[in-house]
Amino acid sequence: MSVRAMTNLITYRGGVGQLSFVLHRLTGLGILLFLVIHVVDTSTVFFFPSLYADAIAIYRSVPFMIGEIFLVFSVIYHGVNGARIAIFDLYLVRNLEIMTQRNSAKWTLAISILLWLPAAVIMGRNVFEKLGI
Amino acid sequence: MARIINLPKNGEMIAWRWMRYSGLLLIPLAWGHVLIQDVLVGVDNIDLNYVSMRWAFVGWRIYDLFLLVFALAHGINGLRQVVLDFVPKKKNIRLVNQAAFVYWLVMVLFGIAALLGGVRKP
Repeated sequence: MSVRAMTNLITYRGGVGQLSFVLHRLTGLGILLFLVIHVVDTSTVFFFPSLYADAIAIYRSVPFMIGEIFLVFSVIYHGVNGARIAIFDLYLVRNLEIMTQRNSAKWTLAISILLWLPAAVIMGRNVFEKLGI
Repeated sequence: MARIINLPKNGEMIAWRWMRYSGLLLIPLAWGHVLIQDVLVGVDNIDLNYVSMRWAFVGWRIYDLFLLVFALAHGINGLRQVVLDFVPKKKNIRLVNQAAFVYWLVMVLFGIAALLGGVRKP
């Protein structure tokens, strides 16, 4: 199968619109996966308090701390893009035109990265501290 | 110009509205939680003492309760919608809906038990 055929297989309409659709789904599913794990680990404070330190120790490892930075991006992007969807669907239905949608999809990505960068710097510094760099 | 149509008032319409309203509510709730716990406090400073100190104030427990119920309902409904994109049969759709509801209920009851019970010192 050629590369072209492969990309056709996973492409619906393509472009910015599909990119935000895919990002919204992936970040949403990723957040849910962490949310379920997080509800379980926090519940150990009541069910198995002696296990809580072990659960937190996993989060304190470097791979999880790097994952946490991506988790924060997911929460920010899903929130900004979700706000875009909700506001257009509920309050700005008349502005649902393809050009405004394309522009707002680009703005969503830009705003998300701007909101994420300060958090990523603070959390990234913690990772470097842990590594002793 | 967008076309205005009359929308059916069924379960899927409620779910569609639910995703938008709960999503807007979750922005301050989830962002506040992530900002405080992940960025400002940091995972290195979180332990049993920190949780019991935080939950000593009932306001934080109510905050966490809202986050628990709304985030799980929003997230599991989202998962349900993604799964239903790949499930065409009516019989299976009903099965997915029931599974999603049970999953949500189990997780919420699990979380609420911990929130009400609080931290038990080992």
